[in-house]
Amino acid sequence: MTIGDAIAEPLTGIAGPVSTRSDAPARARAAVGSSGSSVVQVESLTKRFGEVLAVDNLSFALEPGTITGFLGPYGAGKTTTLRMLLGLAAPSAGRATIFGKPYAEVAHAALRIGAVLEATDFHPGRSGRDHLRTLGRAVGVPDMRVDEVLRLVELEDAARRRVKGYSLGMRQRLGLAGALLGDPELLVLDEPANGLDPDGVRWLRDFLHAFASEGRTVLVSSHALAEVAQTVDRVVIVSHGRLVVESSLDDLTARVGASVIVRSPQLPQLLEALRSENMIATETNDHALQVHGATREQVGDIAFAAGVPLHELAVEGSSLEEAFLELTSETAS
Amino acid sequence: MIAQTRAELLKLRTTRTMIGLMLGVFGGAVLYLLLTGLLIKPEGLAGKQEQRAFFTVEGFVELFSALSGVLLVTSEYRFGTIRPTFLFAPRRSKVIAAKLVASLIAGLTLGLVGEGLAFSIGYLALRGRGIPIALDGAEIAQLVVGALTGAAVWGALGVAFGAIVRNQVGAIIGVLTWGFLVENVVFAFVPSVGRFGPGSATSAITGLTTDHLLAPSAGAVVLIAWAGSLALAAVLLTARRDVT
Repeated sequence: MTIGDAIAEPLTGIAGPVSTRSDAPARARAAVGSSGSSVVQVESLTKRFGEVLAVDNLSFALEPGTITGFLGPYGAGKTTTLRMLLGLAAPSAGRATIFGKPYAEVAHAALRIGAVLEATDFHPGRSGRDHLRTLGRAVGVPDMRVDEVLRLVELEDAARRRVKGYSLGMRQRLGLAGALLGDPELLVLDEPANGLDPDGVRWLRDFLHAFASEGRTVLVSSHALAEVAQTVDRVVIVSHGRLVVESSLDDLTARVGASVIVRSPQLPQLLEALRSENMIATETNDHALQVHGATREQVGDIAFAAGVPLHELAVEGSSLEEAFLELTSETAS
Repeated sequence: MIAQTRAELLKLRTTRTMIGLMLGVFGGAVLYLLLTGLLIKPEGLAGKQEQRAFFTVEGFVELFSALSGVLLVTSEYRFGTIRPTFLFAPRRSKVIAAKLVASLIAGLTLGLVGEGLAFSIGYLALRGRGIPIALDGAEIAQLVVGALTGAAVWGALGVAFGAIVRNQVGAIIGVLTWGFLVENVVFAFVPSVGRFGPGSATSAITGLTTDHLLAPSAGAVVLIAWAGSLALAAVLLTARRDVT
């Protein structure tokens, strides 16, 4: 079974089951409104292991309907931060709240917050379906919903097989299915792209976009910005447990002077339109345009105004990745 | 709490662990009952004391109960399912309490297997050799109730011990060392202390009257005290410790 089969119509395939409750965006907004704060609020969060400061006075916030990349090299304190956010570890100082409360105090936390910390958190001798049933049983989620999320992550064929025979990609999707059991408003995923093939990465990206477009919120960690650059709209970058940057991806892109790669069947017209807007654009040797110091929004808007169809519009990964590496090594010194 | 207990019982049913433990009890009990019931000289099986030991299968079911409890907790730490478990039930005391209840049921189930075999195979073996049953109805009732209670409580002891130790191999070795070695040695050399061990207390509630053993009611109190204090320690430690 491959997830490629269903990718032909990713959004229609995904949007249905995700929105089993049509009032999801309203719920998300109501939740935020009632507590009067962000979906996630991390304030001066600190975790000390003996002499080592794993997380050092970290603060950031997540707004509803956004996909935020929580980025930093291995050992930057991302997973420790997520553990504290999810109530698995106690902060040494500071606090992390979801919907205005510590995780353990959020009413029906398991239904409103979905999280995956490790891709391998399964008993190898238990079937994927039974794993989800044991979780669902604890919070009153019926087996019908278990089968629904199994379909959603395209694991129904393997659902009754024992997990020991699953590939890493299948385990990632089973973990995601568990996080989706409660039809949550917030999804927290630690390195979800590990072990996914390119089809899987694309499937995950489409899935997260569909999820966030319903007003739900996503926090996704990664050690590589390039891995999530096409998925996230905000970034929180940490290094050595400290915050380096919290901004929108486009602001970051503009700030580091990265470029946008754009493809179109009408390249000359597009080049003309961009230049007339004082954009610095150069033609690459593989029939694309590289637009320097611009955001995807700016380039897309200009193309739209000029009536030029676009076949690709992407922040150039390598330059952004270089900036990311620079940013995360800056604080090392 | 009821939902969490149902989840824990489902965990027990959805791996092969419980089946394996049942087969272990089955095989061990059959072997013991046949060997002892058929090979021991009749006078070695004639007395009340000997028949009590025989019909409780020497208390070995309790160790399997304890293992079922240990595995119910430590396999979660070993395979990482403790993370989703606590994400779905952030009040960890509720999880431990549910596991304690589930393991009482699992232990009772194993006890039923053991006692069922004892009073079928064991009874037939004695009858076939013409050895009369020395225990009266009340004594047999006490023995059965005591053995089943012991098997159930040892399941809970296993959960509590597993939650305290967390490391699966360490907890299993700990239970086996205690069951096969420490308690027997202490009881043999310092019976005034050893009789307060959970194994000796369990022997006491089945009606065994070995020298130095506590009275059945005192044994019940001691066994409950063991289970209660270990369970309390398990709940407190589980709530305090970070899950990595």
